[in-house]
Amino acid sequence: MISKDELEYLAQISKINLSEDEAKKFPEQLDKTIEYIDILEELASDDLNVLDLQEVKFDELRDDVVKMSEELRITKNMTEDGFLRGPKMK
Amino acid sequence: MSSLHDLLAHEVVEGIKEGLFTAEEYVSSLIKTIEDVESKLNSFITLDTVGALSSAKLIDRKIKENEDIGYLGGVAVGIKDNISTKDIRTTCASKILEDYVPSYDATVIRNLKQNGAIILGKLNLDEFGMGSTTEYSRYYPTHNPWNLDYVPGGSSGGCGAAVAAGECTVSLGSDTGGSIRCPASFCSVVGLKPTYGRVSRYGLISYANSLEQIGPICRSVKDIALIMNIISGKDNSDNTSMSSSPITINNKLDKFDIAIVKELINDGDHGVTGTIYSTSDKFKEIGCTCDEISIKNLHYALPSYYTLASAEASSNLARYDNIRYGFDLPIEEYKWDTYFSNVRKNFGEEVKRRILIGSYVLSSGYYSKYYLKARSLRSLLKLELLKLFKKYDLLIGPTMPILPFKFGEKIDDPIKMYLVDINTVIANLAGIPAISLPIGFSNGLPIGLQMMAAPFEEQKLIDVSHALENTINIQRRPNLT
Amino acid sequence: MIGLEIHAQITVLESKLFCSCRGNYRDLRPNTNICETCCGLPGTLPIINKKAIEYSTMTSIALRCKVPDKIMFYRKNYFYPDLPKNFQITQYNVYGFSSIGVEGLFELDDSKKIRISRIQLEEDPGRIIYLEGGMNVRNSALIDYNRAGVALIEIVTEPDFTNPKEVRLFLNKLSLTLEHLGVCNTLMEGSVRCDVNVSMKGGNKVEIKNINSFKEVEKAINYEITRQTSMYNRNIKIESETRHWDDKKKITYKSRSKEEEHDYRYFPEPDIPIIVLGDNFVANLKDHMPELPHQRFDRFVSKYNLSVHTSNILINDKKLADFFESTLKLYFSPVEIANFLITDFKSMIEDDSNSTDYLRNTKVKPEHIAELVQMIEGNKISRITAKDILIKIFESGILPSEAVNNTSSFKIADEKTLMDAVESVFKTEKSAVEDAKRNHEAINFLLGKVMKFTNGRADPKIAMRLINNKLNKPDP
Repeated sequence: MISKDELEYLAQISKINLSEDEAKKFPEQLDKTIEYIDILEELASDDLNVLDLQEVKFDELRDDVVKMSEELRITKNMTEDGFLRGPKMK
Repeated sequence: MSSLHDLLAHEVVEGIKEGLFTAEEYVSSLIKTIEDVESKLNSFITLDTVGALSSAKLIDRKIKENEDIGYLGGVAVGIKDNISTKDIRTTCASKILEDYVPSYDATVIRNLKQNGAIILGKLNLDEFGMGSTTEYSRYYPTHNPWNLDYVPGGSSGGCGAAVAAGECTVSLGSDTGGSIRCPASFCSVVGLKPTYGRVSRYGLISYANSLEQIGPICRSVKDIALIMNIISGKDNSDNTSMSSSPITINNKLDKFDIAIVKELINDGDHGVTGTIYSTSDKFKEIGCTCDEISIKNLHYALPSYYTLASAEASSNLARYDNIRYGFDLPIEEYKWDTYFSNVRKNFGEEVKRRILIGSYVLSSGYYSKYYLKARSLRSLLKLELLKLFKKYDLLIGPTMPILPFKFGEKIDDPIKMYLVDINTVIANLAGIPAISLPIGFSNGLPIGLQMMAAPFEEQKLIDVSHALENTINIQRRPNLT
Repeated sequence: MIGLEIHAQITVLESKLFCSCRGNYRDLRPNTNICETCCGLPGTLPIINKKAIEYSTMTSIALRCKVPDKIMFYRKNYFYPDLPKNFQITQYNVYGFSSIGVEGLFELDDSKKIRISRIQLEEDPGRIIYLEGGMNVRNSALIDYNRAGVALIEIVTEPDFTNPKEVRLFLNKLSLTLEHLGVCNTLMEGSVRCDVNVSMKGGNKVEIKNINSFKEVEKAINYEITRQTSMYNRNIKIESETRHWDDKKKITYKSRSKEEEHDYRYFPEPDIPIIVLGDNFVANLKDHMPELPHQRFDRFVSKYNLSVHTSNILINDKKLADFFESTLKLYFSPVEIANFLITDFKSMIEDDSNSTDYLRNTKVKPEHIAELVQMIEGNKISRITAKDILIKIFESGILPSEAVNNTSSFKIADEKTLMDAVESVFKTEKSAVEDAKRNHEAINFLLGKVMKFTNGRADPKIAMRLINNKLNKPDP
């Protein structure tokens, strides 16, 4: 059972505010989902089995060459000097 | 002229090239259809009819001057609104990206444009691709053109509806757990989820990046092949993409060994099951064998899918903090962490639920209990499927276990909604290609057949689908007037 | 017990770790060295830089780590305004997959080795400027993403250090190694950061973050040891916590931000497949990578017959060693050239800033030294005249052969004047004085300083006599 505290903790680490309505109905809904995925416990292995992992050869990777982006424009909240203004830290 | 919007993509390309009609006439016909039906369907989030018409005029000019217009010259495409289109607002059907206009095109968009395609607009979806009905779109739900009280499927619901209704000729959707195939099935059109890595994901706004692919939703198999050959290929901007051979349309079918997966058919709706079995008789008619087999670990597939997809989503959606892009919310008055939480309050309920579940299954106490087990199931499943594909060319079953349903029927119970995906997640977990082909109706509602093949064997899917399509002539265009 | 966690930027790279923006972000206008990818725009994907893998592998090899056949990347999930994706792509040692280097060893000196726990490749976040100042200004923070995505090598040691001096020695030697590999120019601003963990007498581990240069590390550790010792003496329990180093107040203070108490929810990065390095990868790198300090040292001793003392001085100053070998190419007399360089040359050329960049700005070049030493050995000039000529070269870049022809100027022979010079030098070069008392060779260094002090005009014979007298005089 997901407790109110656990839900608050999850919301905190996910940085999501819940509405009152959501805070009320989420514990039960999330519980049902967790119950549903509990069936995975029946599976024996818990190693990171390598079969489903894609591989790429070192030689195929990107060369160390500079190419500047032409089109990017971040204009949101910029100061005159070009810094992005974010919310205060403290 | 009035039926230009009924044409298939390959017919449009030929028609324009041969001067049977102009691109402008064709696009105008689509725009007229949109004007007639869009208020009933709500397929689009953003329409760019002005841009589309000017692109059409450009194509017409090029034809006059005998210039090459590309393999898709003039074809109007609808793009699911989670694929980046330069200078066209891209929202993922979320409030969080309400004002976001990308500064770059996804690789698939670049490929389309280079081949003369015209971008008509951005199509509705469940927010960030999470859902099976478009009811989770934060703008409005899309309606099924076959019956307006019913859902069109999801998450690429806008794609399915728009293509079926003739608002655009073809569309590009994305599929993480069935999001191309489900609306294809519910709207009686064709949808293909490619092998993982066949199509570049650069520009696809990530929901679950180890599971998703961009793919076409069209009204014919030939169009599917046409689009696939344009969007497939190894891309330097996507380390997970791989090269592949082009798909051809063959008029002769090899003898294929096909198997119906028992688990996919057993608990389904009777109308659906009956239609699937009668289709299997058609296979024998076109020279294929059709067995019935069982996949052992199938009942773990959906729980694994939701575990992995939620885990990846919780991380992929972390970047939405409104600092670099997003919507209008002043930064004053907030400390940074409360600002983030307030911004992200604007996610819809389903997105929030999946992020929370994702954080839960990744947290240190639960990581091996859920996430690792889900990963290991993925490997087991893939192993089992590859073994089956040594014996069989295709594995089939109904795309959806049920017929399309009415709005609101499943929205109060997330698990009920998740169960809708039960047949489709297999292909995403194993990274194999899967197609949904319309094969009939029950009570006026569409039924789709799903076929899966081994990695990079899209050709087999196209071969059988093309042959079947010619044998069973299923209506692809509802009557909306 | 002290352990270190060092973050060194791979400054040699042209581009960032996962995109093609410039790797050197310094001195650029804010938010001009960015692209869709390093800013975490929706739909973008990381594309890894292959040279970064090579350089981090070389570092692993240099630190005698095991390098795996295949490497994997992980996501470290946490929110922070300087982190564009709100996760960092890094490496993690778990479930049979290791990072680019594990279980290495670093020789501190003949008796002590430091175990290297792991080396990993990861990306740097952007920078936040916290604003002090007026009301309006305090309502926001300024963010610059120019640095976001730059390649970092993280080096983590076991807590094998027992005192700050060992740490200092390690950091000096590590810098030297990194310099020799060409991986990281530790002089560049912000190129290295160091976190330290300190635990005493089996107590809890305290982590100290925010130490922004190697120089500050020793101070931070000393402060922390003092703090913990005093708490221990008063029977106050030392909590396991994270503290920040304040380099203005020179104290550690308990970190107020909660970012340290994270569950980072690590999981494999889906956008980057497992990278197969290949069978010959490490062997190839070993063959082609730059010479490491200890290898160069061995070569100087065995091939050039240099003394251990001389070799050590050269090895610890890479640019001087490079200068030395360039000179050797022109005239092969290793012992003589080396000695000349580490005494006369070094004391004269070095300026007070102690920057090892002094070699870049000098007019003296290998050809000058080669000619000079050749003339000394050919008995064309005396060693002392050579010093005088060196000054002229230092000033004008003139070739020695030319300088000899324009013989100079009068020499200061006045003993009182010279004594002043000697006194001055003795005051400022205390450690050299101690050296000279033990090692007679080192007296030339002091003479060099006197020559410099008198702009080269001192009569070397008299100056030498005065220096010797002073050295032999007992201390008051």
